[in-house]
Amino acid sequence: MSAPTAAGHHEPSKFHFYIQVAMILSVVTGIEVVLVYLPLPKWFVVTSLLTLSAGKFMAVIFYFMHLRWDKVFCTILFFIGLVLAGGTMWAFLHLFAADAGKPLTAAALEMARLAVA
Amino acid sequence: MSSHAATGPIDHHHDHTTSTGIPNKKLLWWAFLASDCMFFGALISTHMVYRLNPPPGNAVPTQVFNIELTSFSTFILLMSSLLMALAVNAIQRGNVKSTRTMLLGTMFFGCIFLGGQVYEFEHFVHAQKMTLSNSIFGSTFYTLTGTHGTHVAIGVLLLGMMYVRTFKPANGGGLFMNFAHLLAICVTFGVAFIWFVPGLIEVVYGLPIGDLLRRAAIPLAVGAAGLVSLFWLGRSRGAVEFGEKNAVDVEAIGLYWHFVDIVWIIIFTAVYLLEYL
Repeated sequence: MSAPTAAGHHEPSKFHFYIQVAMILSVVTGIEVVLVYLPLPKWFVVTSLLTLSAGKFMAVIFYFMHLRWDKVFCTILFFIGLVLAGGTMWAFLHLFAADAGKPLTAAALEMARLAVA
Repeated sequence: MSSHAATGPIDHHHDHTTSTGIPNKKLLWWAFLASDCMFFGALISTHMVYRLNPPPGNAVPTQVFNIELTSFSTFILLMSSLLMALAVNAIQRGNVKSTRTMLLGTMFFGCIFLGGQVYEFEHFVHAQKMTLSNSIFGSTFYTLTGTHGTHVAIGVLLLGMMYVRTFKPANGGGLFMNFAHLLAICVTFGVAFIWFVPGLIEVVYGLPIGDLLRRAAIPLAVGAAGLVSLFWLGRSRGAVEFGEKNAVDVEAIGLYWHFVDIVWIIIFTAVYLLEYL
């Protein structure tokens, strides 16, 4: 087994910090599951779920993936992909939320074909 | 490949020998993960579009899903991320033995997650009659979660390769032993997520353990042999080449593993939990 290359020059261990982050993430996951069964207004539950998920997402990328300690360029690079992905999702959901974007039923499709004919 | 000065402390977050100050391997993985975000963004939005505008005859997700099992899988994947972070922490401090243990633990948790997914898919197809082609919901659900599961399986393989690499002797050679070690890992973890974990879940849901042993006797025996080989090949074989200088390699694989975790965080909320409102 290799020995540490430069004794005394290691950065401080993040062992306990990672355990704490993981415990918080587990508790947040538990809260998410319980939330959907509680008799709360739908808008509140949806907003809470999205906020908690975003919080978990950020905790993993900034702490477990070390973005907090790495150069800011890594954060920018990853967020370019993330913003493009989020923009794609937003665009898709809004395009298909419009009435004209909804998939036709079989009957409506047949009527549309007849109208064209 | 990043290079470091031969002497002096290693800065694990910055590499002054590259023009960006970031180790090239790490930069490559971040660029790849950014592109993978867009890939999963397209899959998740396709699933959600069809959920918001369900065609007639679509499956009813709340009648199909097993939220207890999925919540357990989510917890397991989160814990695997913790073990991965601890593996990176250990190798940054030059502790190879601890790194090996954490890598094995991460692979094991990854297999539990995959086993849960194998059970879920099998249950959905045979008990719930939801296939890839008999409903739009099935098509988008299997494509999205199957793609994620494939990412997890690739992650387990990458971790296995990294684990085997930690045994590479300092004086060179050992190629055959490393191949045999990788084979033992593939057999053990393959059997674990295809037969052992789904079988255990079935036992939890009431299948007699004797039925499981009869049904999957041969694969389980092969898996047990693989596990014995894994421990035998994993015994200490003297000085190894792997050490603190390889921390960036472990961290790069770790980035990929954490990424599959964050994708699951989104899928768990968007695909599973929102259905229960």
